[in-house]
Amino acid sequence: MNKQEINSITALKKELLARHPELSKSEIHGNTLCLDTDSDSYQALCKNLNHKFAFPLVSMFASDNRASTGCFTIHTVFAHRQAGILISIALPVDPSYGAFPSLCDLIPAAALYEREIHDLFGLHPMGHPNPKRLVFHGNWPKNHYPLRSDYPAEKRPDFADERIEFTRIDGEGVYEIPVGPVHAGIIEPGHFRFSLAGEPILNLEAQLYFVHKGIEKLSEGKTIEHGFYLSERISGDETFTNSLTYCQAVEKIAGIKVPVRASFTRVLFAELERVTSHLGDLAGICQDVAYGFASYQFKMLRGWSYRIADELCGMRFLRSVNIPGGVRKDFVHGKEEILARLLSELQKELAETEAIVMRNSLFIDRIENTGILKNKIAVDLNATGPGGRASGVDFDVRTAFPYEVYTQLEFETPVQSDGDVSSRMKVKLAECFQSISLMLQVLERIPQGTVREEIGMLEPYRSAYGLTEAPRGENIHYVMVGENNTILRYKVRTPSFCSWPALCHAVSGNIVPDFPLINKSFNLSYAGNDL
Amino acid sequence: MFQVIKKIIQYPRVTQNYPAKPFDTSLISGKPVIGPEKCTACGACIARCPSGAIVENPETHKAEIHYDACIFCVLCSEVCPHGAVEITDEFELAVKLRKQLHANGSLEEQAIPPCDDVTFEESGMPRCDTTNDENHGMASCGEPTYEELGKQLKEKIEKRFGRSLQIREVDSGSCNGCDYEINALNNPFNDIERFGIHFVASPRHADMLLVTGTAARNMELALLKTYEATPSPKLVGAVGACACSGGIFRDSYAVKNGIDSVVPVDVYIPGCPPRPQAILYGILKAIDRL
Repeated sequence: MNKQEINSITALKKELLARHPELSKSEIHGNTLCLDTDSDSYQALCKNLNHKFAFPLVSMFASDNRASTGCFTIHTVFAHRQAGILISIALPVDPSYGAFPSLCDLIPAAALYEREIHDLFGLHPMGHPNPKRLVFHGNWPKNHYPLRSDYPAEKRPDFADERIEFTRIDGEGVYEIPVGPVHAGIIEPGHFRFSLAGEPILNLEAQLYFVHKGIEKLSEGKTIEHGFYLSERISGDETFTNSLTYCQAVEKIAGIKVPVRASFTRVLFAELERVTSHLGDLAGICQDVAYGFASYQFKMLRGWSYRIADELCGMRFLRSVNIPGGVRKDFVHGKEEILARLLSELQKELAETEAIVMRNSLFIDRIENTGILKNKIAVDLNATGPGGRASGVDFDVRTAFPYEVYTQLEFETPVQSDGDVSSRMKVKLAECFQSISLMLQVLERIPQGTVREEIGMLEPYRSAYGLTEAPRGENIHYVMVGENNTILRYKVRTPSFCSWPALCHAVSGNIVPDFPLINKSFNLSYAGNDL
Repeated sequence: MFQVIKKIIQYPRVTQNYPAKPFDTSLISGKPVIGPEKCTACGACIARCPSGAIVENPETHKAEIHYDACIFCVLCSEVCPHGAVEITDEFELAVKLRKQLHANGSLEEQAIPPCDDVTFEESGMPRCDTTNDENHGMASCGEPTYEELGKQLKEKIEKRFGRSLQIREVDSGSCNGCDYEINALNNPFNDIERFGIHFVASPRHADMLLVTGTAARNMELALLKTYEATPSPKLVGAVGACACSGGIFRDSYAVKNGIDSVVPVDVYIPGCPPRPQAILYGILKAIDRL
């Protein structure tokens, strides 16, 4: 049976049980198929899902269930994007053994997840080719694993002096350039280690996690309400989409459907955030090639989109808009006309700016063939969003896993195939127009009604995944609730986590002065990666 | 080219003349204020404030907001059963002493406690070596002493920085919201260069550091090195709730709360994130140009 034929979750379950009779438990929760496996059949099952069915690995994390089951659990999540199904595999890990089989040899995208699990939980991925530290730098002492449930959230161990080696490229004339963590521009911190021979970059290794704040640990044991405010502060310019993903997970657990008016309002805000984010990226790309006019033009348009945000909610970063169960209040009522006018102005000016900028041959010459991300790498590393779509990854959460009212609205997902800065810029420009059109559709079609539903008391130990299309791509949050509406485990996987390694591949063969341009064309979030 | 000239004529100047002219604040959601006459000390807002910014006044038992920790989420105005919390449009909240952000802002008139740990750098700038993190840096002996001794240098600093200021931005653990807002100071609406204020690429060229985000453990060394690389006399601005107090990330294993636990701070700019105008206000306040 090939994957095209498996378009329902029950068919998939049947097929998997036929292939893997050893699966001890399989349950269906909404669009998620939950399977329990053991360490003997874990690799074979994951290999089958990834190689045979071509389901990408979309998240992988651990949870400390020693209090209830006596084990740690490794959750490995695959996505069947053609049918909108998530497959969540739970692998118990005995605390006395403290190790689990690595998937790196089978699925390259697993490498970072497994290193993260090792740093936070102290579970060793057996067979990992490069199990060095990821989250913690040399200052973190050995044998401190903060996400274990018995580790106090506020405990700050003494500074250690461990050494972390960067990948070394040897050869005649090969040299290194270290950059960061404090950069020249006004951006977030990260350390980039370039290995070069002459001008072209041979290898780039990015050391991130400088702004690691322990968000996942901070949310544990807190109320659902508190977790919401943390989710808003995962990544500033993705405030709304992160809070929406969190709310979606909580609403799935509560088993409620938000009122239709709230759903429309959420689409409006999510698309506004996308436009604002993309306009900033476009301004950045132009600035990094010293195209002042275009940069200022896009910055002005970004200012206009902030004006729309102010008009809607008085918060430039769309904070305190969402709430589990809907939106906080009726933000749209009485503002339809002025919003439609502002959006039309934005649309017109953006079209005129695009016409000028994309006809500038000097500019085009600079961005074409720069920073090519190959389709194979994008697929293997699960690079999604504009970065993936510019490399031919035709995937959009809004159509594959429809949420809110996207099915009732008309929009297209722009895809390019060259994978260079120019393609990413074209995708982002096209997405801006799609988003503006979506917002105008919302203003036309939004029905009257309430905007908020109570989530009530959640059933303890239930879990769910929230899945949205963030401005940077596929965003997955996992929430497991404990007793009295508290959070037991909150795992955030933003699109930036998957796209950073892809970015490192895209700069190979380019020259260092083009790095800021390539970086800006992806514009990944450091905070969203570091948590 | 013709199209470019057309656009330049179409939008000759979009810069807002803030702070010379106040800008329209009717839409913005700013500082929350608890009316003491309406507050019944029920504690509803204290229990639910996500960043623990609301505290009980020890004398009146009424709720008060510490603006260095406030994340401006407006939850208090929703949960208050008596409607005592009003969301104002006030955004110019920057102050030079962190205590001024606490509910009882008159604290600055109190006697300055003695501090034995002040050393002087070569340039004559005072520096306090005991930064106290225990009580979120609030009683840090560095602040008042720094302020007191700093007054002696005030004239000197004003003379040097009054006309032109070079700023280096450091993100020591933010969510990137504050960084985007600092970035927005360079956009055509705010155009900070009209004040002779520039953002520079290296701390060695800077007079002032604008630090965003809580003092993350992995950034601590980088922040200290950046501070040390900045020539004295220098100013440090803490931008946003996280930099002022740790904000919602306070007391995590990976952070050290406010950045005044790592470097001395001259101006605190609360907000989550503060608007570009609020940051501009803070910078101008730091160099006494208001």
